[in-house]
Amino acid sequence: MLDWLDAFLITGLFEVVMIAGLGLLLHLQLGLARIANFGVVGFWGVGMYTFGVLYVKVDWPFGDPWQFLACAAAATLVAGLAGALVGWLISDLDIDGVLVVTLGFATAVQIVATTEADWTGGAFGLGGLGFPYDIGTVKENEFVWLMITGLLVAAILFYVWRVHRSPYGRLLIATGGNEPLARSLGKPTFRTKLWLFVVTSAAMGLLGAMEAVMVRYLDVGHIGISITLAAIVGLVLGGTARVWGAVVGTVLTVGLFDIVIRTYLPLPREWYSQALPVMREVLFGLALILVLLFRPLGLLGDMRRDQLMRKLHGR
Amino acid sequence: MDFLARALLIGLTDHAPLVLAAIGFALLYRLTGLINVAYAETITLGAYFGMWANTSFGLNFYTVLIPAAVMAGLVSVATYLFVFRPARRRYVGVLELIIISFGLSIFLRHGLQFVFGYPERFFNVPPPETIFVAGGGVTSFRLVALLSVAALSLALYWIIQRTRLGLQIRALASDEDLARVSGIRPLAVTVLIWFIAGVAGGLAGAFYGVGASVSPLLGWRQFLAIFLVVLVGGAWGIGGVIAVGVATGIALAAMALQFDQALYGQLVLIVAFIAILKWRGRRLTEQAKV
Repeated sequence: MLDWLDAFLITGLFEVVMIAGLGLLLHLQLGLARIANFGVVGFWGVGMYTFGVLYVKVDWPFGDPWQFLACAAAATLVAGLAGALVGWLISDLDIDGVLVVTLGFATAVQIVATTEADWTGGAFGLGGLGFPYDIGTVKENEFVWLMITGLLVAAILFYVWRVHRSPYGRLLIATGGNEPLARSLGKPTFRTKLWLFVVTSAAMGLLGAMEAVMVRYLDVGHIGISITLAAIVGLVLGGTARVWGAVVGTVLTVGLFDIVIRTYLPLPREWYSQALPVMREVLFGLALILVLLFRPLGLLGDMRRDQLMRKLHGR
Repeated sequence: MDFLARALLIGLTDHAPLVLAAIGFALLYRLTGLINVAYAETITLGAYFGMWANTSFGLNFYTVLIPAAVMAGLVSVATYLFVFRPARRRYVGVLELIIISFGLSIFLRHGLQFVFGYPERFFNVPPPETIFVAGGGVTSFRLVALLSVAALSLALYWIIQRTRLGLQIRALASDEDLARVSGIRPLAVTVLIWFIAGVAGGLAGAFYGVGASVSPLLGWRQFLAIFLVVLVGGAWGIGGVIAVGVATGIALAAMALQFDQALYGQLVLIVAFIAILKWRGRRLTEQAKV
């Protein structure tokens, strides 16, 4: 079974699905509420390590899939609590403060994952993770996990789509556009931002748990700034204001690079260890600069409602 | 030697470049209103330029400080002219400007590896002499770093607060239109600010690089501490940045001596500074929370 499917393609597609999921959640924070979360990898990492430590270090009275479900639920909860803490911290701060707090949070998560080696394995890593099922070969297990994660990200996409069409979404846009005005109109902006952070961070944590199962071995190198970068680049390229922005952008960045270029282009073998990863980051950085300079709203452009307003008012 | 004296000595000498880098970052932040994440790479490039001048031309460490500082200054000006100025002219928002600087930071951090190579690099300098001060040993490089940082910090403070040029810089920062009608040339003054900031960052990078190794992450590893020092200290002007920077260096050294893992010091620093920002934020903004 699955002979037609390349193992690299599965991991490449998983990466696209994962980053698209993070990009969609970041879209709610950055695109709608205008909160620049530069610590995406921190919430993702909290979920990943909470799941990993609980799964490996705790002696559960039951086996998989219940063990997986219990650990993933705990990872989601802990990431949601981290989101509540960070959301409360940034609620009074301006853009500079938000940047430093979110960056600081991601750094703190990385420090704790490094120093608490008894639990996390530190720089050596944490092994012993696996799929909560076994249907045959590793490739088949990975393929099923890709499908499950794909369904989860599709659910996130549906949630984002629903938020755009709900009063809650309009409240987020109003808070992001002019918070004092929204507050003076009696809107609960503090509660809105806090709840947004709790929900999106919890989902980021769940995605981290899904990643932990797929990679099966955690080390601190996993939770570096490149995850945050990939999510931001995908979102900005696709369009921060649009539901599909993160998905389109991630396919064009991570998908194009990690699947088409890495897997299918006939590149010299020695490029794979150092030149290609470096080139990836160079191109991602350049894409961010060029898109924001020449097409700040990304490929998909403005929100539908803004396009409609322009048409109606002739502006 | 007792604990406090050791912490003071190590903090002042080891973390002196932090103060210099923070002054450069604060100049950009306070005078142009921009949070330039790519400032981390100005620091990194200063270390790389210094190492390149040192290993290619055999110049000694004190001589390479000049090309390192000037080249980092020029890179800083180039980023302004080719990235941030066009962005401002296109009315790119504050949030987008930060993301642009983040992209530029990633671009420079990885792009420099195509120029200088992937492996870690080292300065080719003879082992520094150890000088005994207040009962403790300190290498000559670190002592030079401390003295240079002290001299440069005072010079920058004096330029900004006491000279005509400093007056122009501050006028431009507070109201650009008013500064323009007063006969100040905004482009020339802004370019100068970026150059001075680049020089400060480049020198800090060279001091960091000679003390350990030169790698693409050199500046990024210091960035959060620099940013925190500037956000917390910046409320009291350049003097505040210097004071908080020195205090941070001493606190980091003290915690490195106290804890078995140096990373705990960074963790405490992050938590403490974020708590200060939160506390201040609650006092400064309007209180009507619904």
